[in-house]
Amino acid sequence: MTQEPGQASSGTNLDLAATVSTPAIKADWQAGLLSMVGESYPENTYEIFDEIITWVEAFLGECDKTLRVELQLNYLNTSSIRAMIDIFDRLQAAHDEGRDLSVSWLYDSRNPRSAEMGEEFKEDYSFAFSIAAMRD
Amino acid sequence: MDSSLTTNRSLASLRDFFSAERILICFNGPTSRTLISEIGVALKEHIESSSDSLSAAMDVFSVYIEMSQNIRHYASAMGYVEPDATATVVIAETSGGHYVVSAGNIVQAADGQSLVDRVASLAELDKQQLKALYKEQLRRPRQEGASTGAGLGLIDVARKSSAPLQCSLDALDAGKAFFTIRATI
Repeated sequence: MTQEPGQASSGTNLDLAATVSTPAIKADWQAGLLSMVGESYPENTYEIFDEIITWVEAFLGECDKTLRVELQLNYLNTSSIRAMIDIFDRLQAAHDEGRDLSVSWLYDSRNPRSAEMGEEFKEDYSFAFSIAAMRD
Repeated sequence: MDSSLTTNRSLASLRDFFSAERILICFNGPTSRTLISEIGVALKEHIESSSDSLSAAMDVFSVYIEMSQNIRHYASAMGYVEPDATATVVIAETSGGHYVVSAGNIVQAADGQSLVDRVASLAELDKQQLKALYKEQLRRPRQEGASTGAGLGLIDVARKSSAPLQCSLDALDAGKAFFTIRATI
């Protein structure tokens, strides 16, 4: 179920299908799991990221469950990279306050650019951030 | 454009020109977000099919997307309508196994000059310096540098290029100019 940006409340889930320029997004409050799979290069990132950031803020602010973030992103344009930073900054702030959370970055082994993108994100943060190639 | 290009004979000569220049995809006209995506996907699939690693395909795709979106954001921010909102994009292969992505659009002459200066300053940086600048820009508020629509995207294009970016500015009437940027991947 989806909601308007800014209206996420406790227990809300997100389930957005992938488009040619946006990844599939799932956010499961009960499981404490946020996943993004695909490529992200919309012209205006707020089209999808506002909703994700609102969900992350609600989840981190309104419950104390562990959050796992699973990312399988082949390509991000620079606006999407900025938007990911906005998410990671919120994770870092929560981690600094003792929240249990982790990011798992999975990449297609044929696409080293995705691995490099994950590495560049990882070097700016101190929470658990694993990077692994997916097996076919 | 010469109206005789609509004849078969002239289209054949245009095709010969594209082939001689090893042009994979080119486009000149009004853009839409759908068109940008579709051309990008076709481009990526073509390069993927002719290369072992996805790296070349991802780099060319990425440079093409950043350049095209910069043009669309700029035209939109300036309130341009056709024909000023037109984008010209050419993706070609070189004999040395590289790819060249070129993009051109109409800009205010002063914005064009600041882009030329920016490209020149990026050309002096090595990969490590470009990465440092990229990370610095990533942390800056979005509004800064938004006037030319070419902050982070331009640095990203420079990082993915195997040679310094090249550009040119051709003066037009009414304080406008045609800006061209060329990246070799």
